[in-house]
Parts: sequence; C-alpha cells; structure tokens
Amino acid sequence: MTTSTKNPADFVAKSANEPKSQRIELVGVPSSPGFAMGTVFPVANREFSVVDETLPESRLATEEQMFLKAISKTSKEIAQIKEISESRAGIKDSLIFATHLMILQDPGLVNGVLDKIRKKHKNAKWAVHVVFSAYIEKFEKIDSPAMRDKAADLRDLYNRLMSAMDDSGPVLEDVSHEDGVILVAHEFVPSFLMTLKPGQVNAIVMDTGGRTSHVAILSRALQIPAVSGLRNVAALVKSGDTIIVDGADGTVIINPNEDDIRKFHERQEMFERQRRELFTMRQLEPMTRDGKYIVLHANIEIPTEADKVTDFGATGIGLYRSEFLFFRKGAPTEKEQQSAYRHILEKMAPHPVVIRTLDAGGDKLVSGVSAVNESNPFMGWRSIRVCLDREDVFITQLRALLLANTKGNLRILLPMISSMTELRRAKACIAKARKQLEDEGHKLPVVKIGSMIEVPAAVMIVDKLAKEVDFFSLGTNDLIQFTLAVDRTNELITDMFQPHHPAVLSMIYQTVVAAHREGIPVAVCGEMCTDPMSVLLLVGLGVDELSMTPWSVMTTKKIIRSINFEDVRDAALTVLQMDDAESVNEFLHKKYAQTIMELGISGFVGQVEK
Amino acid sequence: MITKLLTVSNKLGIHARPAGMIVDITGQAKSDVSIVFEGSKANAKSILNVMMLAIPAGSEVKFEIDGEDEELVVQQLEKLFDDHFNEEPC
Repeated sequence: MTTSTKNPADFVAKSANEPKSQRIELVGVPSSPGFAMGTVFPVANREFSVVDETLPESRLATEEQMFLKAISKTSKEIAQIKEISESRAGIKDSLIFATHLMILQDPGLVNGVLDKIRKKHKNAKWAVHVVFSAYIEKFEKIDSPAMRDKAADLRDLYNRLMSAMDDSGPVLEDVSHEDGVILVAHEFVPSFLMTLKPGQVNAIVMDTGGRTSHVAILSRALQIPAVSGLRNVAALVKSGDTIIVDGADGTVIINPNEDDIRKFHERQEMFERQRRELFTMRQLEPMTRDGKYIVLHANIEIPTEADKVTDFGATGIGLYRSEFLFFRKGAPTEKEQQSAYRHILEKMAPHPVVIRTLDAGGDKLVSGVSAVNESNPFMGWRSIRVCLDREDVFITQLRALLLANTKGNLRILLPMISSMTELRRAKACIAKARKQLEDEGHKLPVVKIGSMIEVPAAVMIVDKLAKEVDFFSLGTNDLIQFTLAVDRTNELITDMFQPHHPAVLSMIYQTVVAAHREGIPVAVCGEMCTDPMSVLLLVGLGVDELSMTPWSVMTTKKIIRSINFEDVRDAALTVLQMDDAESVNEFLHKKYAQTIMELGISGFVGQVEK
Repeated sequence: MITKLLTVSNKLGIHARPAGMIVDITGQAKSDVSIVFEGSKANAKSILNVMMLAIPAGSEVKFEIDGEDEELVVQQLEKLFDDHFNEEPC
C-alpha cells in the first residue's frame, strides 16, 4: 500500500509548457489498494522490440556473449523439458525437443547470427531476429505440410531466445526515479514483479488479469497499488505521461487535469487518515458483538513479510505460498528452503504458520520444474500433481519444512487435492521425509496436515477427506474458477467470476458442515476474505478462520467487530436458498451496505458493490 | 573425398527425426559432409538445412564426405539408410 507522489506543481508546470496531451479515464479491476501518481514507464513484453543499429566494435563482444548465453540458457530449459516429457510421455513423443536442441546447435543458424554481430556490427537481438525470420520464411514456403509445421518450432525457439536475452539485458535497471514510476504493460508475469526493487515502482497497471491473478496477489504482498483488466491501457499511454492510479476502485487517469490532481490529494489524505485509524485497533480481538471469535490470519508470499504480520493484528500465517521461493533459476536447495521456512516459523512462534507445499503451474512459471507449454495449464500438470511426480523436489521441500519446525508451530497444507489417492500418497511422502530425518537422528514435533479444498471433486468427497486431515483450507479463487468453469485470467469473462454464485456458496457450506462433523476447522485463504460482503457470508456460513493479505486484516477485523454472528448466520442461511448471484448480492447490499460504508474503510475496499 | 548415393526407404521421408539422426552422425564427424538433393547442395551438419530439403520417401540423395574419418561416416550413413531410420519402410 504505497502512497507516494511527486510534487503536484511539477506536473502542472510541465503540462503548461508542453502541448497538452489528452486526458483519458479508464476503469479496470482494482487489484491492490493504494493511490499513486507518477510517470508512465511502459514495459514491453510478448512483442519483442528489435532495433536495427550499427554498433561500435567495442560492444560486439558483449552482444556475442549475450547471444551465446541465451543459447545455453534455452538449451538447458529445453533439456529439462525433454527430460520431464520423456518420463511422462515417452521417448517417442519427446523427440521434438531433441530436434529443438539440435536446431540450437545448428552451425548455419549459430554462425549466421554470430556473423551478423561480428561482421555487420549488429546487436544480438536484431541478429537473431533477422536470421530466424529468414529461416521461418523458408520453412513456410516448403511444399510439405510436415516441414511447414517446423516454422512454428522455430518461432517457439525464437521467443525463448528473445526472452532469454531480455532477462540478461537491462529491464528496469535504469529506473531509479526518486519517487518511483508507474509501470504499464499488456501483461506482467509474477517473476518480473519479483525483480523489482523496493520503492522503485509506485504502481502497476495492465491490460490483462483480474483481482485473483497471481500478479494481483503478489502486488498486494509487495504493497504496490495495482489495477488490472484495463484492456488497452498499454496502447494508450506513452513513456513519460502522467498517470493517476487508484488501486481501491480501479480508476486510472492518464494525463490528469488540475481538478483530478486536487481530488487525488484529497483521496490520498483520506486514505492516510483511515490507515492511521485502522492501526489503532490492531490489538483488539476479532470478535463479533455477540462474542463469536473469528481467527484472522495473514497470507504472505515473501518470508520477510512475516516480520510485520503481527503489526497488522494477525494471529498467525494462514497461507505461505512456498512457490514464490521457486521464482528464480533452478529449484532452491533443502538448506535454502529450510532457512526461509525457519525465518517465518520462528518469527511467528507460538502463532501457527500454514505453509502450502509447492503449487507450481497454472500461471506461475517455475523454472526447472515446469515449463512445458500446456494448452490448459490450470487443469494441467501443476501443484500436488507435479510434487507426486517429482518426488525428489517434493521430499526436499518436506524435509526442509520438517527441519525448520523447531518451534512446533508448522502446519503443512497440501494444494489441489482432488482424490483420496493423492491425499494418501502426499501423506506417505510426508511420512517418508519424517522417517528419513528421524533415521538421521533428528527429533521432530508433530505436524498438522491439511488439505486445500479448491477442486469441486474434493467437495464431493469432503466428508471422507475430513476423516484423514487435521484442517481444511478453502482456496476460493480456484474453487470458483473450477466450479463455474471461468478462467480467472481471462479478462473477457471477469464478470462471470462470481464468488456469490449459489453453487460456490453451497460448496463452502458443505465443506464447513463436513469439517465440523469431524471436529476440524475450516479456513478460507482466497481473496474472498478481502471483500466485506463475502466476509459476512463466510462468517455466517460457519468458516472458522479467514486468511488474507496483512493489510486487510485490520479492515476485516473492523467489519467483524461491527456485526452479530446470529444475524449473519441467518443471512447466510437465507442466501443459501437463493438461486442466483444477483439475488444474493442484492440481498446483502440491502442489508449491509449502509453498515459497511459507515465503517470508514472505503480507501481500502473501494466502493461497496451493488 | 567419397561420394555416396543413398535411397530414402522409410515411409515418411526425411522429416525432423531422420534429419536429426543424420546430423547425429555428421555433426560429430571430423569430415565435411554435404547432402545433395535435386540439384540443391546443403551442409549436412545443419539440421535446418537437411530439413529444408524436404526429401520425400523413395528419393535418391547424394552425400559428399571429405576428411579423415570419411570411411566411418559413409558406413554409419549407409547403415542408417538401410535401417530405414528405424521407421516403417516404404
């Protein structure tokens, strides 16, 4: 939650001297709260920009190195994919990767690029672009469909090489703006955000994505205001434009006028005031007026976030997404993981810490573990499926977790469980890791093991799962996406991602009923916990714990302290009888909108939705 | 220098996989190896060049091998073509 700005006078003065650019106001999906004003820094991706320039002799060696590094990096990537593919699909179907590797070694291609650099004094990207384009064109003209298809393989390799060179080239290195800049792109990938330095960026805005995309989650963790799903903002801005971003209500103003700037400062002041006020209540209990205690935990993505979690009034970590450790080149070692986990566990002790095992795949690209192009990655080879196939990776993580648990406050959460077989196999892996360590002479405390409930199949067998785990954690983002068959990263259907759809509410309720029958608690760790109306519903449906971004803990606490449990339970039971999301939302709005608006948290949750 | 005529005897012709198998041999050879098909001559160590020739089943191709291990390379290529690249023969 950053609120920084340059002196507004700078902007006014600037716009007076230059030809006035057109003011454009856009509304997207509010993805990470906070207000920011700054200058646009466009981040190009997907379409690689290549420049035809003639370089001085002195720079050629660097360009050559850049190209050779890209070749070796890409070869490594493909060799890894080949290995995974061979073990899963068999040698025969993996031959394409052997061909890719051979193409990367092709003397005609490699020397062609090197010649362009050495003899024509061109930069590496331009050389790759020109050489590949020529080959692709030739292949497209071949009178054999099988060979024409090879053009697609070349394009794939071209993209990989180009992004490999992008990685090694300067991205934001030149940006060290005093107050940061506002990044604008068609799309951001999580690993890109991980490379930002603190304070370097005021806000991010993008064409794609929604509230629950991993980029949105990550920007909340990094406390960078973000607006996503703007469709065409990247095409509308140019470098250096002034832009105002409101991460709470999703408004973005390009080239604001003086009136906009004045309003921006008013809102920013209100935001600061609300923030100070919220901080005063962080030590109060999250209890409803009639005495029902709701456990409020924080979700974190980065181990050092644990240092601040209790300041926001959270009494534990409800979800640490361990895969963010894997956003780098190569999987982290057992030692590296152990020290990251131990940092969190020791910081939080005696409070509980739920660490979710590697949930790679989907829109999270974890180098070294998953990189195969899947047409449907959310339903593909991801998460627990990867872990059970790559037992080496999984056991390493489990050993690190068990070793880090010196205070006994660890809870292990298994993601994406869709069958008893998976749950039992995963538990067997935990037992195996424990046995290994005990044989090595380690004394290990007992660890609670929980299952994510995020696949509809898990809800259908939830009474059976409840008998074999210690807790449930509802991953509402995936549960909604799978139940409603709505891809949460597809900006064309963000309106269909309805958390209050009766099918979703019924799934949550069934999970709670089954869990309470076995005497185990249910947590919700999805983004639903940050929407005030959803909080009321979840509490009413009987959810025991809510876990959310640290900042939201304070607002959620304020909401919980203002309600009666009996009342929200009646409301939830009434809502369960309704047959569409619109009726549910209308009912909730009528009943609670006024109450929520009077809580003075608008800067954090945006306008209460109708 | 040795010149060798070989017939492509697998059903699918020289697609990506057989091209890769050829380059497996030629790429490691010390000799220079060229492949000639319908008047086009290409470096046989380049998989892209070999693939671009798009040589169909039943074709005759000419290899020109020049270097210290030329005998060995010819033997290996001959065996590869005789085995129909371990694919279905035509």
